[in-house]
Amino acid sequence: MGNLIKAEIRKTLSTKSWWGLMIPAVLFAFLFALGWGAITNDLNDFLGSSDAEELAGLLGVQLGELPVGLLALAHGINIGTMFPVIFGVFALAGEYSKKTITTTFLTAPNRMSALSAKMFTYIGWGVVYGIIIVAFASLATVLTVDSAGLPTAGQWLGVLGAGILATTLATLFGIGVGAVWNSVTGATITLTIWMLVVENVLVFVSFGWFGITWLGGVLPNGTLNGIVGAIGAEAFGAAGVSVPGALDEDLQWLLQYTAGAPGAFSWWAAALIFLAWTMLFFIGGWAANQRRDIT
Amino acid sequence: MHDGSGRIAVQNLTKQFGAVTAVQNLSFTVEPGSVTGFLGPNGAGKTTTLRMLLGLVTPTAGTATINGRPHHQLGNPARVVGAVLENEGFHPKRTARNHLRVYAAAIGVPDQRVDEMLGLVGLSPAADRKAGGFSLGMRQRLALATALLGDPQVLVLDEPSNGLDPEGIAWLRSFLRSFAQQGRTVLVSSHLLSEVEQTIDQVVIVSAGMTRYYGPLDQLRASQRSRVLVQPADANGLVTALQEAGLHQVEPTQDGRVAVSGATVQQIGDIAAKAGIAVYGMQEEKADLEQLFFQLTSPQYGAGATAYPPQQQPYQQQQEWNAPPPGYQQPGQPPQQPYQQTPPPGFQQQPGQQPGQQPGQQQGWGGQQ
Ligand SMILES: Nc1ncnc2c1ncn2[C@@H]1O[C@H](COP(=O)(O)OP(=O)(O)OP(=O)(O)O)[C@@H](O)[C@H]1O
Ligand SMILES: [Mg+2]
Repeated sequence: MGNLIKAEIRKTLSTKSWWGLMIPAVLFAFLFALGWGAITNDLNDFLGSSDAEELAGLLGVQLGELPVGLLALAHGINIGTMFPVIFGVFALAGEYSKKTITTTFLTAPNRMSALSAKMFTYIGWGVVYGIIIVAFASLATVLTVDSAGLPTAGQWLGVLGAGILATTLATLFGIGVGAVWNSVTGATITLTIWMLVVENVLVFVSFGWFGITWLGGVLPNGTLNGIVGAIGAEAFGAAGVSVPGALDEDLQWLLQYTAGAPGAFSWWAAALIFLAWTMLFFIGGWAANQRRDIT
Repeated sequence: MHDGSGRIAVQNLTKQFGAVTAVQNLSFTVEPGSVTGFLGPNGAGKTTTLRMLLGLVTPTAGTATINGRPHHQLGNPARVVGAVLENEGFHPKRTARNHLRVYAAAIGVPDQRVDEMLGLVGLSPAADRKAGGFSLGMRQRLALATALLGDPQVLVLDEPSNGLDPEGIAWLRSFLRSFAQQGRTVLVSSHLLSEVEQTIDQVVIVSAGMTRYYGPLDQLRASQRSRVLVQPADANGLVTALQEAGLHQVEPTQDGRVAVSGATVQQIGDIAAKAGIAVYGMQEEKADLEQLFFQLTSPQYGAGATAYPPQQQPYQQQQEWNAPPPGYQQPGQPPQQPYQQTPPPGFQQQPGQQPGQQPGQQQGWGGQQ
């Protein structure tokens, strides 16, 4: 297994995709955190003064002391997480499209070990992506959010951990989708459209028309975003913890949405549900790979 | 674990791609110490068979083993079998050296082996160029270098001379021969008999997914129908004399000569002399091996569909071979027990054979080094 992991590391380092996707990941994470940091800095303006005051009162804090920096962090990290997903798609589907999969299978004891080596290697890559994305989102947050609105060190560490968890699972999710549907272009385009457009529309429509608040808490993009986003939402009493005198359901959803995690139950619930999505595709992809004819 | 024999065994192998039967009940074995040609026209099922042997395609029925094991049970398979396949995949943006370094790591051989193999196939000058910019012949060389990384005991090649220049073809021929002479196994596919004729000693001929002939090439060659063209003073007299002597395969040719089959030049000369007929010339004519190959494989696009029994009758195809000239078949020898090749002394695989000694390592390919 050590040999195969070494081979996988060499594979990724000898082509451009790892930094070709790292650059936009960093850029988007930085810019989104910058933008959200600028908007949410004045939560009064953003939420409307009555809602914000009601919230602050419920949480027993001054309005200006809400850790709005968490919102900026979450949005930056969430958009950046798109790229490890695509990077994961390249891992296996890329080998199919370039036909290198033939040699990969010829030099591995069996297909299962080839796939496992990929999984371990890309866990490492997911961690690298996570650290870098969180770092740039943090930088943008510090640049835009007033010091009163910055999260505590503990919250920040939580975001780092959740961010790494999210990018790692995102990478594995990408591998799984690419293993099921071994087309880089097809899988990448579909995933991008799904995660950026389709799922958001579904979540919005079901909330706006049917009052369904939980949908974002179970779908892949929602749960992936929820891992980091729920930390912010929890800090605002909009997820996980029960707030005395409970928030109005609509305000709660709005706050979750603002935190980048509409419908998220809690960060760990989001992580578990997204892990289930990852496993679903991973196992499906693994099964498809065991039998697939390489011609 | 595998038995280290270097033997390839294909048994009752069948592959169905939806409605297409690519390979139908194919059986043959390949012994170490020889180069075996795997011949058949386009679409005969050669590539599919080799890919099943290498574990890339799952057979619908039957087995294909190397060293007594299917590919996924070989342990570190690249150390047992190396493969050069058609349209081998290289990442277009990865350099030749990096490509080899990736798979050297996977196999677990030292990186120095990468440069050795690049030198062996004559790609050293192009080592740091991206494989996407390689010519067809250069890609074939890189594929061969990849196949040899693990110093395998068995080499499987699918149309390896595609795109090679004459020098490359000549080099590959001698390389494969010396590889086999070390007691290793070579199975090489081609759709042209003439292309591999000088390289191979055994041959498996397939057509429409079925075996048409397999055994030593010499046997195939020996069975060629030869005839002697005689130019006598008195053609009718000669025909009568020959028939009296018991030679009945006699027919006149358009240019007034007499074509005699089943007799040597000496025999005919003696008979003519005895009959007092002057002979002005005799010419021995051998049927082309290629023609023979064509005969064996031609039913694929002709009566093939009806002339051959359905697959549930395993061996019948043998008897139904499209009437190869007498002596071609190996009656009573089911495909599982083919011609037993006894490797010449010294060719036998030694248990302690040193890995790392590649044939022709000293003299690389092409003067490009
Ligand atoms: N993936 C596939 N799906 C459907 N049919 C296939 C597939 N691969 C091969 N075939 C069919 O199987 C048959 C055998 O193909 P194969 O590639 O094994 O032939 P071949 O002997 O290698 O031919 P060639 O000399 O042209 O390389 C052909 O009819 C081909 O169309
Ligand atoms: Mg072929």
